[in-house]
This record gives sequence, C-alpha cells and structure tokens, in this order.
Amino acid sequence: MSRSTFNRRRFLGTAAMSSAVLASPAYLRRAHAAGGEVNIWTYNDFVPKAFKEQFESETGIKVNVRLVDDQGKQFNLLAAEAPNPTVDIMTVAGHRFLQFIDSELLAPLDTSRLSNWGNINPTFSESDWATINGNKWGAPILSGMEVLSYNTELVSAEEAQTWDTLFSEKYSGQTAYIIQDMMSIVMLMKGYDGNMVAYMDDPDKAAAIVEEAKQFLIEKKPMVRKYYDSGAEVQQMFVNQDIALGHSWNGPAAALINDGFPLAMSIPQEGSYGFVYTYNIANNAPNVDNAYTFLNAILASPEIGASMTKASGFISTYKDASNYLTDLEKASTSFPEEQLANLQFFRAEANEMKYGLVDPAVEAIKAA
Amino acid sequence: MSLKAGAANSPGTHEASRRTFWGRLINWTPYRLLMGIVTASPRRQFLILAAFPVLWLLTQHLGPMLQMLRVSLTDAYPVAPGVEQHFTFDNYARFFGDRIFWQPFFRTLIFASVLTFCTLILTYPVAYFLACHVSRKNQMLMLLLLLIPFWVGEIVRTYAIMILLGNTGAVNLVLKWFGLIDRPIPFMYTSFSMGIGIVYLTALYMLLPLYSALEKLPKSYNEAAADLGAGAWTRFRRVTMPLTLEGVSSGCILVFLISTGFYATPVLLGGPSTTVFAETIAGFFHVAGDEWPTGAAFATIMFVTAMLLTGIFQRLMYAMRKGDTK
Amino acid sequence: MNRGNRVFLSCVYWSFVLYVFVPLFLMILMGFKDSKFIGFPIRSWTLDWYTGVFADAEVLSTLGYSITIAVLSTLISILVGTWIAVLLEGRRFLGRAAMFGLTILPALVPGIISAIAFRIYARLLGIEPGMGAIIWAHAVHNVPFVGLVVMARLSTLPKSQIEAARDLGADPIVAFVRITLPYLIPAILGASIFCLLLSFDDFVRSFFLGGYDPTLPVLIFAKLRSGMSPEINAIATVALVLTAAIGIWAERFTRRMNKDVNS
Repeated sequence: MSRSTFNRRRFLGTAAMSSAVLASPAYLRRAHAAGGEVNIWTYNDFVPKAFKEQFESETGIKVNVRLVDDQGKQFNLLAAEAPNPTVDIMTVAGHRFLQFIDSELLAPLDTSRLSNWGNINPTFSESDWATINGNKWGAPILSGMEVLSYNTELVSAEEAQTWDTLFSEKYSGQTAYIIQDMMSIVMLMKGYDGNMVAYMDDPDKAAAIVEEAKQFLIEKKPMVRKYYDSGAEVQQMFVNQDIALGHSWNGPAAALINDGFPLAMSIPQEGSYGFVYTYNIANNAPNVDNAYTFLNAILASPEIGASMTKASGFISTYKDASNYLTDLEKASTSFPEEQLANLQFFRAEANEMKYGLVDPAVEAIKAA
Repeated sequence: MSLKAGAANSPGTHEASRRTFWGRLINWTPYRLLMGIVTASPRRQFLILAAFPVLWLLTQHLGPMLQMLRVSLTDAYPVAPGVEQHFTFDNYARFFGDRIFWQPFFRTLIFASVLTFCTLILTYPVAYFLACHVSRKNQMLMLLLLLIPFWVGEIVRTYAIMILLGNTGAVNLVLKWFGLIDRPIPFMYTSFSMGIGIVYLTALYMLLPLYSALEKLPKSYNEAAADLGAGAWTRFRRVTMPLTLEGVSSGCILVFLISTGFYATPVLLGGPSTTVFAETIAGFFHVAGDEWPTGAAFATIMFVTAMLLTGIFQRLMYAMRKGDTK
Repeated sequence: MNRGNRVFLSCVYWSFVLYVFVPLFLMILMGFKDSKFIGFPIRSWTLDWYTGVFADAEVLSTLGYSITIAVLSTLISILVGTWIAVLLEGRRFLGRAAMFGLTILPALVPGIISAIAFRIYARLLGIEPGMGAIIWAHAVHNVPFVGLVVMARLSTLPKSQIEAARDLGADPIVAFVRITLPYLIPAILGASIFCLLLSFDDFVRSFFLGGYDPTLPVLIFAKLRSGMSPEINAIATVALVLTAAIGIWAERFTRRMNKDVNS
C-alpha cells in the first residue's frame, strides 16, 4: 500500500475494518484463506504452534485444528460424519488402524506424494503394524509405550525391573493402572502373547488366557488404589503421593520427570508394548491436496519432531530428533538398550477376537 | 424488578388501566380483533397454546430418543459398508443375561438415591436459613455467593477436590500440621471422595428449588402455629415441611436424574469398586467404539428405570401432600 | 424465632460456604504455582500462567464463544420451557402425562448417549456442526430444567389473582404478562442460572456438535491430556472472574432499566 494514495477517508475505512477484524473473535474470522484450508483432528500440542504459523504464512493454507482427547471419540465422531467427513487429517494410534479401515474411514496413504517420508525412522515407518492390505495408512509422528513409573524416593530401581512389584504386598494401596492395558501386560507376565496373534486359530486357548489374566487382576483388586483412564490422573496421583508406583504411558511420566518430580520409568524384564501415533488422511477428505502438503511440511525437519516431543513427552519418530532435546528431555524419552529389547509393538490383526474377550473381562474386573 | 413483585402487582382498576400501556393495548382495535379470534373458544385457546409445545416436544425431545431406540434394536451401528443391518433384541438380552452389568446398575441407583437424600439433608437447612432468617436485601446476595463456585467447570473443580483430599492434599497437610496424624489418611478414590465430589455438583440443583419453595412461605403461618403452642420441631414438621414438599420433590427429582448420569466425577474420584453405570455405558462408545447398539440399549434400560422410579416417587409425594392437607 | 435455632442454622450455612469455597480457593491458589502440575507442596510462585491467559487470543475467544452459546441457548430454553410449563400446569387433558414425560426426557438421557443421538439427529435435520448446533443441543437439553422449576412455582400461583384480573377486563395474554409472568420471575431467574451453568459446563454435547472452535470445557479437556497444569486453573479462574463481572453488570443493568421504566 503506497503512502501517496492513502487519503484520510480510506485510512479511516481500513482502520475500522482492521479493528473490526481484530475485535471479532477467531470463530467469526474463519474466512476462506487464499490457499484454502486443511482440517485436522489431533491432540493438544501435536501440531507445534510455531510450525503452524510458518506453514500458514508460506502456503496460504489455513490450518484448522480440532482438539480431541481420545481414540474412541475420534472414531465416533468420524463414524457420525461418514461418508462426507469435515476432516482431512486425523491422529490414529497404529494399532487402532483396523477398526477405522474396516469402517472405510481412512484413505490409504500415497507415500510417493511425500518427499519427506524418508525423514521418518524406518523402525516406525516400515514396522509390521504399519502396512495393512498392502497399503500404508498413516505417517508416524510420535511413539508411546507402556511403562512402569515409580517415585524414586519410595521405590528402588531394582524393584522396578519387574511388573511383580506392582502387585506386591509392600506397595498395597499405592498402585494404579489402566485396566485394559494391564490385561495385555498380565498376559505377557504369564508368558503369553498379549497381542493374541498367536492364538488366532485357537479361540479356546485365547479365552482361557484372558480368563487367567482376569482372575489374576480380580485377585489383586484389593491392593490397587485406582483403575484410571487418563494421563492427567496418574500424574496427579503421583504428585499427591496417592500412589508410589503405577503402570502408565511414557508421555505423561516424561512430562512429570521434566518438571523435576522424582519419578523414573522402566520397561520391566517381562516386556511391554509400544504404540505409534500417526497422521492419517480421512476417506473422502474435503481437502486432500492440502492434507498432503501439510503432511509433507510437518515431516520436513527433525526440529519439528523434537518440539512435539517437548510438548507431549512421547518419543519422536523422526530421525535425529533427539539432537534438538535438552539432556533432561533426552533422559526422559530414552531407555537403556537392554530394556528396549523387551519392547514390542501392539498389533491389530487379532484385535477383534482380543477385545471381544478383553472388554467383558474388564467389565467383570470392575464389577468384582 | 424486585423478586417478590408478583403478588404485589395488581392490574389496578379498569379506569386507571386505560392510561397505561396495557390499558391502551387492550383497547386497541386490531388487538381486540386478534384476541377475539384467538380466544373465541376455550378449545381454540388451548389449541393455540398447545401447538408449539407439542411440535417442539415431538421433533426435539422425542426425535433424538427414537433415533437412539432404533439404534438399540439393531445389530450394527454405524453401519459399515457392505454389512446388512438387522433388527434384534440381543442388546437388551445382553444386560439381563450377564450379572456383571447388574452391579454397576444397582450401585448407580443406590448411590443416586443416597446422594439425593444427603444433598437434601445438607441443603435444606441452608435454604431454610437463607429464606427465613436473612433479610430480603441480603438473601439474593448470600444465595449468589453460594453459586459462585459452581461456575468453575466440573473437571477443574474435581481436580481441586483431589488437591484437597490427596495424601499430600490440604486436609492431610492441616491435620499433620496440628499433629493429629503421623501418616496421611487415604481419603481419595473411595466412596467418600466420590460423595464429596458429587454432592458438590448436586447441591445447586437442590438448593434453588428448595429456596424458591421456602422463600414464599408466609411467616405468619409459623407464628400462628407458635401462638398455638407448637414447638419448633412440631412447627417444622406440621407447617414448614408440608408446605415445601413441592420444592423438595422437584429438587429430589432433579438431583436424582442428574446423578444417574454422572460420568466424569465418579470416574475421576471413585475407586476400583465404585464403577457406575454411566461408565459401563460410555465404555461401549469410548473404548470399544463399535458397540453403539449395546450402549444405546443399556442407556434405554437406565432411562426407563429412572423414569419409573421418578414416577413412583412423585406418586408418593402427591399422596403425602394429599394426606397432609386433610 | 428461636435464637438457638438461628445460630445453628447460620453455622450450617457458613460451613456450607466453607465446603463450596475451599476447593475454589485451592483452584485459584494453584494457578500461581511455578510448575507444570498442580498440587502441594508449592515450592515457588509465578504470575506467568495468568499473564499467559491474557496473552492467548485463543483462550479469550473461546471464553467469548462459550458465553455466547450459554446466553443464546438459555434464552431459547426459557422461552420454550416456560411455554410448556404454562400449558401443563393446572390443566387436565388427554396426553398430559405423556407430554410431561416428553418434557423431562432430555434430562434423563446420559450425556454421551444424548450427544450421539443429537449428532445423528442433527444430520437428519441438516444442521451443520458448529455454534448453531451446540446452541440447539444445549437449548433442548435445558428445557426440562426450566419446565420443572417454572411448574413448581406456577402451582403456587393463587388462582384468585388471575380471576380478579380477568374480571377487570384483562384478556388471557395481558393477564399472563401482568400477573403470571411477574410471579414467575424468581423461578425464571433461577432456571436461567441453571441453564447458563449447564451450557457453560457442558463438555460432551459441545464436543460432538462443535466444529473446529472449541468451547471452554472442550479446550480444557484437550489441554488436560498433556497434564493438569496450573494453566488450566488460571483459565478457569479468569473465566470465573469474567463471567461473574458480566453477571454483576447484567444485574445492575436490568435493575437500572427497571428503575427507569418504573419511574
């Protein structure tokens, strides 16, 4: 805008307009930007603010983020919107793919359109759970795992080497776990395959195993302080010292460690499970091209991956992301090699059978 | 406008009303013609009054519920492509066929009843104090004072209760500071902490109907009873209580209904053995994600039961009022 | 009245005040904690969380969004709920019991069920997710509360007053506006507070019917996933103070308006 043509009336008009824009809240201002828009459902902090602003100014594509807080709600919401969703990109955990794919809610990912696909650590991008029906379904961004978290002032590192400590007399009334997740871990503790893939041809064996895990958890019920659901709950229980140790995901525990709380995590010797959050493109998404542009941009640099890790506490799937973390952040998102060797990923193949058995078992444990 | 305006506002004499807005309106010819048409017969008057509510209730209240009922009678919802949807009663049979669902179901009904009763006992004296012992001028102020904390969302308030009752929470800190305890008392994740949290949520819904019932209680009744030599307890039982039964019953119904549907607070504050039915229902939607029909069927069962109980309760209250006025 | 009684009752009142306010004070206090998690002990203090709220345009516009939704949905609920109450109270007609049942129906449905039912039904009616859909769902959900409270008040309205007004030449509408409505004001005010609260605090319906702009509870839920941080307490406190300020202003404003009208 040149100064010479800037007469007074015009100035007043512009000023009034821009102040109207400033005064109107964001929800009224959602105009269609030049490059169109991309609609994303994701967790808080999974799209770094700085990245979002840079992306919008460089591409002219407006990024609309809808914050969600669990997988089930995303599924319900998408199912209610199908077959014409408002969303382009969702955030699904890898082992939940099947449910979404079976309901035709996801579109296969065309990785040839993502020049930055190679920036993802192949451990995640080429893992066994990532390819279903010969297609890739999502771009891995963050990885989480089931860990044993413990207050280091109350519990020793040796005790945290085994899940048994969670069920010992010594810490009776000072433990907590997510009961669904614990079912898989108890199966591991008893030497079975918690993914239940091994028993797909033997439903009777599968039922017997779930029954055994169920009986075990019912027997240990008097000793647990709380069956919880969300990361915020377990964090609060640690802070309030309502519990001394518990099963948790690494993200919430890492956040507590980074805040200076005397907490540590371990992957016990019996083993544990990992899962991966991925960005996925919705079937019949309204802005597919923008969605690919967005995905390619967010995969561009390990620094973006590191900032997601800083905010969420989950481990980045980007190559070299750890170079951008502080020492404390690094410590809270890494595990010794010998512990990592105990880790395997959740798999989806047997989910229908597994959850058909586990869900009623969970109800039974709660009711017992 | 003051809150007690209603009774004092008489329409004045016919002559005087001619000069007011209303007076002019009544005498304005088009208005009179319109009113003539509208109020031609009591029947027409009623139909005009009823048309909108009936339409609203059928489309807005019944519509979504019928949709839910329909879902509860199918075997698949949302329908995956290529799958055929069938009519079935299996979802209902599942509840009656499996004992593990009964316990949270009855627990919810018992919790809701007990909590309703506790809320009533707790808030009645508060409402009574406000309505009968506080000057008119301060009444609104003191009532609003009580409402302030309710403006904080359920979740934030629930976490505040964790900070209050946790092992390193405010209560334990104070007790320790006074040397009353050595090790913290585990208040959290018990029926107690859950009750504290829920009564916090329900108190408001009881308080307001009770207050509005007590507020219009004429003082002269109690004074008359006192003159006749009735003691405080007798006065309360024979005069105050019967006259406020309406408020008590609407407060109790509100609280009971609301507390059967509580989800977040029991989940966050309860322990391993306090699972409520809302949690069971939500499980079919959240965790499994693909069992909507079962969830809808269970919700229908809860709904019908709560409805029956409310109906019985109302009958009971009605009978009590009848009995008392005899 | 008996003095001992009075002292006892005022003790009950003030202990009740204590009960509802202690968690509130804890909440406000924790907003000043210099840590990412609330809870004792507090080792150092900070104002950053509060200044952060005012610096964050998203939080403030979310607050405005929630307040707008609460006020608009409450107006609808009050109108419809009062209308229904006037129809149902003190009349006997075929289907009255059924209508009463239908009226309180939305209050009986557990949150998650009602949210999904609304979501599916909204699609049937062609209502797009977003502000309008949330207002609609909140309005429908809150009608029963207005209906119950207004009916309770209406049942105590002396019939003689209406009859007197009719004798003096008032038609049903004028009698309603001049006699019934003023008598209902306390109930309507109480019911409005209910509705505003229910709408302002609702998570599940707002989540399912909302578009890309979160209401305050939806924002708080999403933030909660990365931990119960003092930031959330600061947001809740600011929301509390702002809504209280608006409430006081509205009360003053209507009082002044009434004075002007009456004088």
